[in-house]
Amino acid sequence: MGTQVKDVIIKPDAPSSLLLDKHADYIAAYGSKKDDYEYTLSEYLRMSGIYWGLTVMDLMAQLPRMNRPEIVDFIKSCQHECGGLSASIGHDPHLLYTLSAVQILCLYDSVDALDVDKVVEYIKGLQQEDGSFAGDKWGEIDTRFSFCAVATLALLGKMDKINVDKAVEFILSCMNFDGGFGCRPGSESHAGQIYCCAGFLSLTGQLHQVNADLLGWWLCERQLPSGGLNGRPEKLPDVCYSWWVLASLKIIGRIHWIDKAKLRSFILACQDEETGGFADRPGDMVDPFHTLFGIAGLSLLGDEQIKPVNPVLCMPEDVLQRVRLQPDILS
Amino acid sequence: MAESEEEVDVLVQRVVKDITNAFKRNPNIDEIGVIPCPEARYNRSPIVLVENKLGVESWCVKFLLPYVHNKLLLYRQRKHWLEREALADITCTLLLLNPDFTTAWNVRKELLQCGVLNPEKDLYLGQLALTKFPKSPETWIHRRWVLQQILGQCSAADRSKKRQQGDAEQGDAERGVAERRDAEQGDAGRGGAERGDTERGDAERSQQLSEHLARTLHQEMKVCSDAACRYPSNYNAWSHRIWVLQHMGQGNVKVLHDELSSMRLWVSMHVSDHSGFHYRQFLLKALITELSQTPASTSSPQQRCSTAPSSSSLHHSQANGELSEGEAATDEEWQLSANTVLQLFHQEMELCSDLIQSFPGHETLWSHRRHVFYLWHHWRREQQQQQQKGSTNGESRSGVLSSNGDPAPPTLSAQSSACGGGGVNGQGHAAQAMEVDGVSLPDPRDSKRLKTGVRPPSPPALPSEPSFVSGFLDGCCNPEQRRFALAYKKWLDTVIGQQP
Repeated sequence: MGTQVKDVIIKPDAPSSLLLDKHADYIAAYGSKKDDYEYTLSEYLRMSGIYWGLTVMDLMAQLPRMNRPEIVDFIKSCQHECGGLSASIGHDPHLLYTLSAVQILCLYDSVDALDVDKVVEYIKGLQQEDGSFAGDKWGEIDTRFSFCAVATLALLGKMDKINVDKAVEFILSCMNFDGGFGCRPGSESHAGQIYCCAGFLSLTGQLHQVNADLLGWWLCERQLPSGGLNGRPEKLPDVCYSWWVLASLKIIGRIHWIDKAKLRSFILACQDEETGGFADRPGDMVDPFHTLFGIAGLSLLGDEQIKPVNPVLCMPEDVLQRVRLQPDILS
Repeated sequence: MAESEEEVDVLVQRVVKDITNAFKRNPNIDEIGVIPCPEARYNRSPIVLVENKLGVESWCVKFLLPYVHNKLLLYRQRKHWLEREALADITCTLLLLNPDFTTAWNVRKELLQCGVLNPEKDLYLGQLALTKFPKSPETWIHRRWVLQQILGQCSAADRSKKRQQGDAEQGDAERGVAERRDAEQGDAGRGGAERGDTERGDAERSQQLSEHLARTLHQEMKVCSDAACRYPSNYNAWSHRIWVLQHMGQGNVKVLHDELSSMRLWVSMHVSDHSGFHYRQFLLKALITELSQTPASTSSPQQRCSTAPSSSSLHHSQANGELSEGEAATDEEWQLSANTVLQLFHQEMELCSDLIQSFPGHETLWSHRRHVFYLWHHWRREQQQQQQKGSTNGESRSGVLSSNGDPAPPTLSAQSSACGGGGVNGQGHAAQAMEVDGVSLPDPRDSKRLKTGVRPPSPPALPSEPSFVSGFLDGCCNPEQRRFALAYKKWLDTVIGQQP
């Protein structure tokens, strides 16, 4: 009587070397298919999509292939009266896309394309009495939005504009018995939310509040026999969770607790040899989202063909040096 | 097929209308879906309504979605005006095809605020979208906003009622004077009769409001269950369910009990759904908190002790779980609460043991065990602290813990068969397990004895974890089960062992 472990089996002929050129071609071509039905379907998150594409291009030292003036103009036209940015033109502003826009402009060293004071006002206005952040004016609360708020402000060098102590208090109220974090107090631990909370505590200088051994334990238990990482118990491994778990482990100084070689071969097996790009799991359809997190994961694992990535902001380290941001990492 | 811009316009407008009409024709549509159908069939609408299922033929989606998408964005940029009804129809079509289109939900929020849409209608649209996209974060986010609106309306109504009551009381005082004057003039009592009517009206309205809220809560639980069944470990569905309890069922012991009971079967049938088990942990923790904070004398001992599913006494307990203040809880009441909590833990660990043995190799079940044990460990420590405090104050709050302050009980008799014995159903220890140390659980009916001061039998306690684990480590288990048991043992030794 056995139970099939929820995992994938990596085939012997799966890709085992990094196909950097294919990935750069895939991303460069992605933005040109603007009439696609799929492109319409994903317009509600366009700004984040651009951030994924540009960041992975920069990590592969291919950023000059993208159309900088067009992108900067697009971002400008997504800033609203309230200061916040939307995913695309005609959509409503939200913290998620405000962070993505600021990240892109940092890659291009053109943050001044925005009215920065208004961005700061927008973020400040979304902080609630209990320290949490609403994602937009409609009031949804989530630890992801706390991360978006402090990450954006950190990139802009304006962290002092919000009540940081209160914001920290809220994040800590979402910590669970297993050392992990959920979206709100009482919610289940989730690797994506843990990444946001660990990143938040790094940016606010509060990593000592994390129980690093306990959280590290939970994070390591995400590694499956295939080498891939899942985001919660009994879920399938996924390249994006591989990034969130790995980056969290890096932030709390426990990255050496997992089997790096096995994770590397899992991530490499998620490449599509024909089209370029990474999928969530070997054999699935590729997309820019998983392509970024595949490449970023390999960078954290020490691949020298890729620029070093910062685990907190998922941006190239050289960009963060330029904006003089050095988020804390536990040793 | 129609490909020119004009033809597409006409086609799409007709399809949007067909969808609107389908909802008018059948207000009980309960599921949506796309029907694989690569080409249009002559002269037939791509909208198919069969019984309560609404289908869209796949060929038209590639025309329909970009059309409604662009229409809405042009409206948002003030480049194209749309009437409110058209906006409602277009966002409906758009969201059924692409429910994570945040801005479309926001347009509906605005329509709701100006009264064009009602909250129930939007909850219904979200429910339908979830039948095809059970994870859709934006759909769940919109639901929470709509529920906030309903809660806001209810509390506004409540406030205005209280204000009226305040006015009425002030009016009473004035009327009292007037009535005395009237009595002197031989015309008494009229004002009193009018007041009786308004009070009855208020009571009815308040009753209606609380019934409305109870129905909404119940319906939300159903929507969450459906979505949880459609997608395993559905984080958004389960965290929504927690949000609903936190915002609409605060302190409601009856709801917590009912949820715990109904979840028992669900988790037993979904042993790898970590989110479902986490919800159970949330319920357990909330119940323990409630019971530990309010060992009040207003609720009968019977309902406090009874944790069995569908216990009828629970259904007669106070609907809001409100407990009257100002009555000091006696020792016996504390003890009853503690017994109930202990019983909850006992039942939960028993369920967990059963499932671990019946379904070997599930990380979720072992993770559940960690959490329940952790809760128990902390609760026990608090009890010990209270007891110590009590004894230094010269009070005795005894009975829950044994005299040496150590509640750690002997092993459940059947645990030794953890690995080898028993098939899926044949655990054979269900009856025995209710007995710990040869003493049965307190019968709820024993509460009468408590009231008269007779000491209750020893409460149940948890099995010994090391001996539970050791049953899995003798090598005859499946390797996964063995791995999880080892990890659990290590967790007990390090995480629990290191705590004071």
